Amino acid sequence: MLCSSLLRMARKSGTAADRRLAFEREALPHLDAVYSAALRLARNPDDANDLTQETILRAYRFFDQFTAGTNCRAWLLTILYNIFRNAWHRGEREQPASTPEEFAGEIEAQSRDADQSRINPEALLLSRVAGRRIELALNALPAEFREALILVDVQELNYQEVATVLDAPLGTIKSRVSRGRALMRKALCRLDQARGKTGT
Amino acid sequence: MDCREYISEYLAGHADGELAPLARRAADEHVSGCPICRAQLIEERALKAIVRQSVALAKAPAELKSRIRGALDEADRRAAAPWTARLTEFLAPFRALGSRISEPLVWAPAGIAAVIAIAILAAIAVPRRGLIAPPPVPEFELAISRFQQFQHDFVPNVPAEAYENQTGAVYAWVINRDPVHRVADEADSDAFNDLARSFRSANLPDDLFDFAQAGYTITGGRVDQLPDGRPIAYTLYEGAAGEIVSLCFYDPTMAAPIGAVNWLGLRSFYQYKGYSICLSFYPTGHFISILITRMPVMQLMRDVAAADPSGISR
Repeated sequence: MLCSSLLRMARKSGTAADRRLAFEREALPHLDAVYSAALRLARNPDDANDLTQETILRAYRFFDQFTAGTNCRAWLLTILYNIFRNAWHRGEREQPASTPEEFAGEIEAQSRDADQSRINPEALLLSRVAGRRIELALNALPAEFREALILVDVQELNYQEVATVLDAPLGTIKSRVSRGRALMRKALCRLDQARGKTGT
Repeated sequence: MDCREYISEYLAGHADGELAPLARRAADEHVSGCPICRAQLIEERALKAIVRQSVALAKAPAELKSRIRGALDEADRRAAAPWTARLTEFLAPFRALGSRISEPLVWAPAGIAAVIAIAILAAIAVPRRGLIAPPPVPEFELAISRFQQFQHDFVPNVPAEAYENQTGAVYAWVINRDPVHRVADEADSDAFNDLARSFRSANLPDDLFDFAQAGYTITGGRVDQLPDGRPIAYTLYEGAAGEIVSLCFYDPTMAAPIGAVNWLGLRSFYQYKGYSICLSFYPTGHFISILITRMPVMQLMRDVAAADPSGISR
């Protein structure tokens, strides 16, 4: 608490040097996390560098708005996703012409199928799941499910923080995490079956 | 609480420690009396741990760190400079033009007016573009270029040989002998097998979407090579509503890009530069499948759902 108060004082009324020091202590330890997320979004190192730098500079400019004691990584990732989302939406992407509800049922059914324990838990858990296979299964996930899983499991944000970062309702995040894991299990199961068939 | 409710409503939150106290208590009670759901919870937590271990955070390059520190220094320097100094810096190029007025304060109103005017003009005239442009997806760009090409110039090159049996019925195709470049009649299901065999012989996945129920016929298939030598299979489907081109090739590095407008199982659907695209990954072999069309994305989703409701096909 004392530390938080000091940080707040440094940011709001301290010297520029204090402000810089506070920012470096709070934000820069999360640079790898920001860069990793930028790399996943931008898909190439040069753009990831630009995206990371823009995120850090914007965070520095608006550091007064960061609430001390909250998760700085989540705050930085929110800025990062906002920058990226704005750039993306300025592109040529269109919105769907009609609503996709009719397909939600099918997705739901497929997720439920994957949830049922046709998959032997031990076979999955103790199946020496190599990192490469996890990455493959993760990459095969629809991006929105993958982002939610990575933010929860890798960046270690809670659901509310993920909702803020992705600018989506909390219920949507819960659903994406749940369905994302179900789809992951399904993909891993297919990989296991494929390995069994090919002997690879 | 029954097992279905636990798995669909509580499992993920339970594993992530995200349940409210009452829900947490109810979930704990259910799991303590249900070995199946207990196993599911263990699996969910293990999956979470495996993902965390497997997807390590990338290290920011040292060059980027130093660039950021430099940019922060520059921001500090600018913030510390008095506004007149910043204005002087801004106006330096104008002064260099040989103005007879050397006092920067005299330039202040003109400078401010110029900044406002430039900002307004920029907002009106300059195309909106973020710092980071939407990243192009090379695989989608390839699909678009092939779709455009195939719309007016599609020449199947598989199967490589074609023969007629004694009754005159074609049981495989020679492209050069086919004036309309059709692999087979609509009713000729051998088109499927012939194409599948050709793709298989090129070391590519041999399953195809069956869009017949959605009103499409297979116009033909091609096997080509990408510039780096990887084989790639194309299949062209034509129906009253339009054409669908399928591409399948080895791509171990691709991940589904962000921005999908919908999903069907593990398939992601995109609207990209005016095209509707369905992307899916084969569970083995690092192959990807892309379907591309000019039709609305919901139409493509319906057709895909009808053609291949469960498995992964191309």
